Amino acid sequence: MGDAERYDVIIIGAGHNGTTIAAYLAKSGLSVCVLEERSECGGAQENTDPIAGVHISPHAVALYGGPAPGWEQLELWRYGARMDWAAQNLSGMDFSSGEFMGLLCKDGVSFASGKDFDGWLKLSGALNGFCQELLRATFWCPPHPSYVEVNAETVPFMQVYKERLPEVWTPEMLEWSQFDLMDEYMDTEPFKIYQAYIAWMSGAAGHMEGMAIPAFESVVAATLYTTGAVPMGGIHGYYHALIRCAIAHGAVFRTCCPVDEIIVSHGKAVGVRLSDNAAIGNKVIWADKAVISATEIKQTFNDLLGPQVVDPGLMQRVNDLNIKGGPIYCNYFLLKNPLRYREKYKAAEQTGVCYPMDSRELYYNHVADCMGIQGNPTVPYDEILWLWAGSNKIITHECHPQCTRPDRYIESSIEFYVPPPQYHIDGPEAMNAHKEELKTYFRKAFSCVVENLEEDLVEHWVLTPWEQEFRNTGMLGGSWYGIRHCRDQWWNERPLPEMARYRMPGVDGLYFVHQSAAHPGGLCLMACGYNLMHTLIEDGIAEPGDWWYASPWYIPEKGKISAVPREGKVPA
Amino acid sequence: MEFAKYEQPLLIGGVFDEFPRESTWDAIIIGAGPNGLMTAAYLAKAGLKVAVIERRYEIGGGLATEEIMWPCYYSNAHVVYHMMVDYMPIIKDFNLDNHAMSWIKPNLQTAMAFEDGSSLLLTRMIEDTRDSFMRYSHKDAVAFGKVMRTWRRIVDEIIAPLTYMPAMSPMDLSVILDKTDVGRELLELSEKSPYEIITETFENDRIRALLLYVSCMWGLDPMETGTGLFVPLLLCRGINKCYCYGGSHKFAGAMGREIVANGGVILDMCAVNKIIMENGKAVGVETLEGRTLKAKAVISSLDPHTTFLDLVGGDNLPGTLKESVEGWVYDKWSFYTLHVASKEMPLYIAEEPWVNESFMVIFGIEGTDQLLEHWTNVMAGNIDLKNFGGHSTCESLWDPHLVYAPWGGEVSFFQMHAPYDIVGDWEKRSPELQDAILDKWQKVAPNFTRDNIIQTNAETPVDIEIRFPNMRRGSIKHGDYRPTQLNTFRPNVECSGHSTPIEGLYICGVSSYPGGLVLGGSGYLAANKVADDMGVKKWWKPTTEMEKFTKTYL
Repeated sequence: MGDAERYDVIIIGAGHNGTTIAAYLAKSGLSVCVLEERSECGGAQENTDPIAGVHISPHAVALYGGPAPGWEQLELWRYGARMDWAAQNLSGMDFSSGEFMGLLCKDGVSFASGKDFDGWLKLSGALNGFCQELLRATFWCPPHPSYVEVNAETVPFMQVYKERLPEVWTPEMLEWSQFDLMDEYMDTEPFKIYQAYIAWMSGAAGHMEGMAIPAFESVVAATLYTTGAVPMGGIHGYYHALIRCAIAHGAVFRTCCPVDEIIVSHGKAVGVRLSDNAAIGNKVIWADKAVISATEIKQTFNDLLGPQVVDPGLMQRVNDLNIKGGPIYCNYFLLKNPLRYREKYKAAEQTGVCYPMDSRELYYNHVADCMGIQGNPTVPYDEILWLWAGSNKIITHECHPQCTRPDRYIESSIEFYVPPPQYHIDGPEAMNAHKEELKTYFRKAFSCVVENLEEDLVEHWVLTPWEQEFRNTGMLGGSWYGIRHCRDQWWNERPLPEMARYRMPGVDGLYFVHQSAAHPGGLCLMACGYNLMHTLIEDGIAEPGDWWYASPWYIPEKGKISAVPREGKVPA
Repeated sequence: MEFAKYEQPLLIGGVFDEFPRESTWDAIIIGAGPNGLMTAAYLAKAGLKVAVIERRYEIGGGLATEEIMWPCYYSNAHVVYHMMVDYMPIIKDFNLDNHAMSWIKPNLQTAMAFEDGSSLLLTRMIEDTRDSFMRYSHKDAVAFGKVMRTWRRIVDEIIAPLTYMPAMSPMDLSVILDKTDVGRELLELSEKSPYEIITETFENDRIRALLLYVSCMWGLDPMETGTGLFVPLLLCRGINKCYCYGGSHKFAGAMGREIVANGGVILDMCAVNKIIMENGKAVGVETLEGRTLKAKAVISSLDPHTTFLDLVGGDNLPGTLKESVEGWVYDKWSFYTLHVASKEMPLYIAEEPWVNESFMVIFGIEGTDQLLEHWTNVMAGNIDLKNFGGHSTCESLWDPHLVYAPWGGEVSFFQMHAPYDIVGDWEKRSPELQDAILDKWQKVAPNFTRDNIIQTNAETPVDIEIRFPNMRRGSIKHGDYRPTQLNTFRPNVECSGHSTPIEGLYICGVSSYPGGLVLGGSGYLAANKVADDMGVKKWWKPTTEMEKFTKTYL
């Protein structure tokens, strides 16, 4: 142990959340080492060129993290953060013509009504100037200490509604699904289906009980707050600013360094052991203050900690955490010509990105297929819901080219929810075995709206959930949000009530920041890291400078150091 | 409501701060390839305020390890063989090992597999090569040991240190090299063509073919006199190739992290529109998205045509510079690379089982005449499907970090010389060439059947240019190696010292001295030049090889 390497903090996994907390801690003056299994950092915040000159985002596409305190606290602008504001389609509003969003239904376009938008904008806080506040209350605040009762007075977003928009605040809002909320404040069914489906695509689905506001707010974060625009360089460009912030403050990043074990000694996490194929000779690295797992919770418990550290009861509950509702089957089309909407959908060419938005019945049929049936999709091809999170929809070509091959066009990605491969009745490889069949099915589904897919198709690439799991170890089951964003696995219950403040029960110095193990879960929000900072300050590990401010809704835990600075900055 | 095009929307109010529309730096580096990164890293650590601007989404240029067999299989899309790891100053100057960089240098470096099952080996340890040659020609085995003894000294004592020292004119070189035996030997070699050197030294045709291939594979005309110094260099380095564990991109990542850790900024997905000129001086750059970065030094790693004609503008070039730049000639050939993901790695039938453990396996070449004919075809814009050869590597044999498929697999590639302008066009020729390659591969490695292959990605010279637009016409070295484009002539007499006749404008790419193949020379030299001109204290010292060279020859 004499000349072994030591850091204050070791972070396992250089995905979005591991890197965020690395940046926060390095900026707080701690020595930090981040160990990444893959040859590239970024996790799901990645881009790739499958062939020369063709650019795709395999996972995250939209920017949800606009309201994050991290932009300011970590000063990401210094590290090259730039936005491509030229593409602002997902907000759904064609401001120049004054027309509202066109939605794709089986029979043609249905336009959202004025009442839809009034309700949407009103609830978002955009009309009353509290949009950022509401989003931050929803995502950027650590769950309260376990002894604080969770009710309509204490949940942060409820506090914001009560103060800013008292006429909509009711205790029942906390129990509602997003559909309940929309039935109260919005108008047309297709608009509600669209909102519910985008929410599902963002983790917390429209039908989930008790998730009305988180579901609604995730749609606001993706489509309204930054108007659907994405960072320059895509979501990976945003990651670059984040990792470079961490590096500029001294964090050490090592790729091709898989971790085999979190070393726990005398009830404290003291270091990690790297796997034999790690790209460095020193296979044991010690952590003086903390080990933070920024990788998936089930693997952290089963593989990195193991039964020596975890009691069987806890292990069972961790293994029961649900990954349904998150696996997305992605399609990428290389084409000879840009895609054209069919005549009946022309009016929604700018804003129509989901199909079919007809009815709750179709929505629920697809939900049942993904969450209730353990097999391949069974709904007819013209009734399976899809999202075109496509390049041309939200990324401009002029300063941000996605395809530089002459006479070629890329559309990525067209996304379909499917059951997690682990839950498939024919085993995890089943959906891969049916790849060709599914590809045809997805193309037929997408062709309900576009007319020239088949005739102009050059390549059809897919990325199945099973492949995603192997490419990104953290995405168990190919689930984009780690574990489901449902009420049993959110806020004070994410991942489990005794771990909601990011600590490992019974092991000192071990913390969790992966989306599967931390509120508020996925979406590359810089939120898990920001929220964890509160806990690390409470435990005396991090002492950030006066750039830090705590969440205004944060409640310090009794007997701990408060994360609220006595003097210093408060949120704008 | 209307949004100004690249401005933040007003709907929510200001969202967050972004990188400023106008900023000022000490040095701007255009292009984050190996040399651009190197220049930036040295200057940033010297305390300069440095910004690197990269057109692609990822830094590294040719140091690209990417998932080009999408999904789940990573390949080294461009650079695989690192030949100057033993000498490159940056590795020790920055202690890059700390970034978990590990170099694999197998003893079994290169094998040549012949269709009759026989084979030849070229190894890091000279004696193993001699053992292999012995079976073909005792004389050649002896000759190999003898010449390599001198050639290794030539590389160690002269060529390697010179790679990281400012270019010298042929006249100056001949004066100083005349001082020692090895120097005189090198001068003698330099006069000759690679073909002359190899055929004068070795008698066996297969051995000749192997050594000629290794000497010329990176773009030397075997018949061109005056390029002979590359033979000892490429043979010595060709048996000391390293694989960058985790993929070549790790090298770029390590340099990028050093830049950022020393206060530099990297802007990726950011193309430079033009170099801003004021009163005949280069004062900054303007990007495609409309940002302006001003700097005391603008350092371009791009090819001469892009730097001078497109970004500065032909009309802004002083004196004879425009003429010099227009005379720049691209590489005589490019590469066609077939990347393959397979269930099993290719297993060659060669009589020496070591072939299967070799870093590089050459096949398709049975003798010198055939090799020369293939190269003649390529230079004429053709590929004869019945007569071609190339080299292959199974990358996953060295690197477990390339395969992320649930069902496993191996990653290999086959690479051959190929013309940019092919008779027919690439879209048509590529599929038939891919078939021919797989047939040929299966002949020498019978398990490499179509059933064994999971997926492929063929990269033509046009694809190289699409991925890296400065490798115009697929030129991996941004321009040919010929006597008129080497040393003080690279890229031209005006600019071979890495400064240019335009004040404030420097060059650091592989079109500048000493050239390409991830030598780490031009990036290092440009950093030295900029530091000298700006009066910056250098925190680094010349390597011991360079100091020894200076003492002996200068």
